[in-house]
Amino acid sequence: MQHIEIEDLSKIYTVDKLAINAVDHVSLKIGKGEFVSIVGHSGSGKTTFISMIGGIIKPSSGRILVEGNDICLLNDDALSEYRNRKVGFMFQFASLLPVLTARENLLLPGLFNGAKTSNDGKKAVEYLEMVGVGDKLNAYPSQLSGGQQRRVAIARALMNDPELILADEPTGDLDEETEGEIMNLFEKLNQEKKLTFIFITHNLELARHAKRQIRMTNGLIKEI
Amino acid sequence: MDKFNFLTVAIKNLRRKTFRTGALVFSIALLVCLMIFALSFVVSVSSGIKKTSDRFGADLLVVPVGARSNAEEFLLESKEASFYMPKSIIDRVRKIEGIEELTYQTYLTTISGLCCDIAPTRIIAFNQGSDFIVNPWLQKSLGRKLKKGEAIAGYETDYNLGFELLDVEKTIFNNKFKIVGVLDKTGTGLDNALFMDEENLNDIIASGKSPLKTGDISIIFAKLKKGLDPYLVGKKVEADIVEVDVVSRREMGGSLLNALKDINKIFLVSISMASILAVFLVWAIFSAIANERSKEVGIMRAIGAKESHIVRLFMLEVFIIAIMGSIIGIATGVSLSASLSRSFNILKDISASLSLIQHTVIAIAGLLVGFAVCVAGAMMPVNRIKKLEPLLAIKKE
Ligand SMILES: Nc1ncnc2c1ncn2[C@@H]1O[C@H](COP(=O)(O)OP(=O)(O)OP(=O)(O)O)[C@@H](O)[C@H]1O
Ligand SMILES: [Mg+2]
Repeated sequence: MQHIEIEDLSKIYTVDKLAINAVDHVSLKIGKGEFVSIVGHSGSGKTTFISMIGGIIKPSSGRILVEGNDICLLNDDALSEYRNRKVGFMFQFASLLPVLTARENLLLPGLFNGAKTSNDGKKAVEYLEMVGVGDKLNAYPSQLSGGQQRRVAIARALMNDPELILADEPTGDLDEETEGEIMNLFEKLNQEKKLTFIFITHNLELARHAKRQIRMTNGLIKEI
Repeated sequence: MDKFNFLTVAIKNLRRKTFRTGALVFSIALLVCLMIFALSFVVSVSSGIKKTSDRFGADLLVVPVGARSNAEEFLLESKEASFYMPKSIIDRVRKIEGIEELTYQTYLTTISGLCCDIAPTRIIAFNQGSDFIVNPWLQKSLGRKLKKGEAIAGYETDYNLGFELLDVEKTIFNNKFKIVGVLDKTGTGLDNALFMDEENLNDIIASGKSPLKTGDISIIFAKLKKGLDPYLVGKKVEADIVEVDVVSRREMGGSLLNALKDINKIFLVSISMASILAVFLVWAIFSAIANERSKEVGIMRAIGAKESHIVRLFMLEVFIIAIMGSIIGIATGVSLSASLSRSFNILKDISASLSLIQHTVIAIAGLLVGFAVCVAGAMMPVNRIKKLEPLLAIKKE
């Protein structure tokens, strides 16, 4: 069964009356439990593309079917629930809330989840240990290194047990060893929990970890 | 582990800029304080007047022609005044249709000097036989009628003159009087007087020290038969007896209330302007906050916060500011009006004081205004930020 079906998807940004085709009539099918990497030059539209899949920006045209439902047709509340429960988004940039500790940042998705379970506290500790920052539970983002912040953000994306992970250069500022550990974690989650992974990277070496590789150029995609 | 909920996040957000939060709380407190103060003033004066006219239990006050405002000042504002008319007027008033019951009083003020050994104070001599004004309190405080040579002090008089010990002898217009008690607080001008039976007046006149002449009275209080319009009966009294003016219960304190209307307007204008200023301030600060936090809001939206969650987070902050500001404002407003009431003659004279219910209503009004101002100011920026698409909010700097 297809997890995601993208049909003729476009995003046009208009800056000073100039149209930028960030994503240009893209169609793509991704099956459940697939592990997909996206590479491409800076500005080729990678972030825009997965942001549309993650429901954090609306496409200009086209359809995004997730388990058969077009998420572009959802109202704001339903779309928020989709983002909250079905998607784990790892951002390209620092994305922790500065006023909250590492642990509290992990509890945040649960706060927005109506059907929240009460064992979030234990789970947060577990996940922080899993990504190797178990000793930084009560540290604020400003007290963490860039790489540690990134690992906390990765752990946060997993908190609501999403079926789809969208990772935008998730290992951007991690050393090779940690990068390897995180990739191993991703592969383990992919195999054991059958999570669907789409991740963007500049590192061709890493991209080759994925069974399916996509290159993006000027808003167009090509399977490698 | 400690709790984590929306309130935790809101409080942490408020703490990140304590000075800014403090400044907002302070401005709301100022506004609420001003409002509490103004309301307390207006309400105590107007309810003081109403309470006084109700307490008298009379529908009409008949006074010598031209003494209308003197009478109001004497009764409402505890001012000294001497106005007299002959006792024979009583019977003429009694004959007028619609009058059911009446009593009369004579007012004079002690003078400092050889004749009296107390500070100048107002004396109300009343007719115990027909009285329905003082008797209810007298019964409560003393449990019997006043005898000749006895006087009883109004609540404030006792305080002002420092009698403290009862059963003291005082000389008033060369006559010895025994102060036999203190009346309960009435919250009217009667609290600032010394009461005695009218049969003492002859001795006082005999002393030759008072301006009073035999047979003089100051005021007649009249109760009407049920269902009659005091205003109409009052007009009839004035038409039949040219020597008198009539104040009906409804008109009582009319000139004061009129002056109060203007004060009301001034308060209304200044409170409105202060409110607009405060709304603008809250708006400006929350616009800045919304801009500062647009990335954070974008991230929260991206990980699943609904618009309503964002509103809830911001509104919690707004409510905390509103509650703190209002409570501080109410506390300072109440103490300010309490301490300033001594320096406003009109409040002191009317011996106006607020009941617990009035205090509560005023406090609630202050709280509501504090909340309304905060919510009105924060609404727009918060609505704007919640509408942004998450990715665009995140990228907005
Ligand atoms: N909010 C925006 N308004 C206007 N143009 C935008 C906006 N966001 C992105 N773009 C443009 O869209 C194109 C694609 O941007 P996008 O961020 O998707 O690239 P990317 O592939 O993720 O790049 P990078 O590897 O540097 O992260 C770029 O040309 C960019 O200038
Ligand atoms: Mg990008």
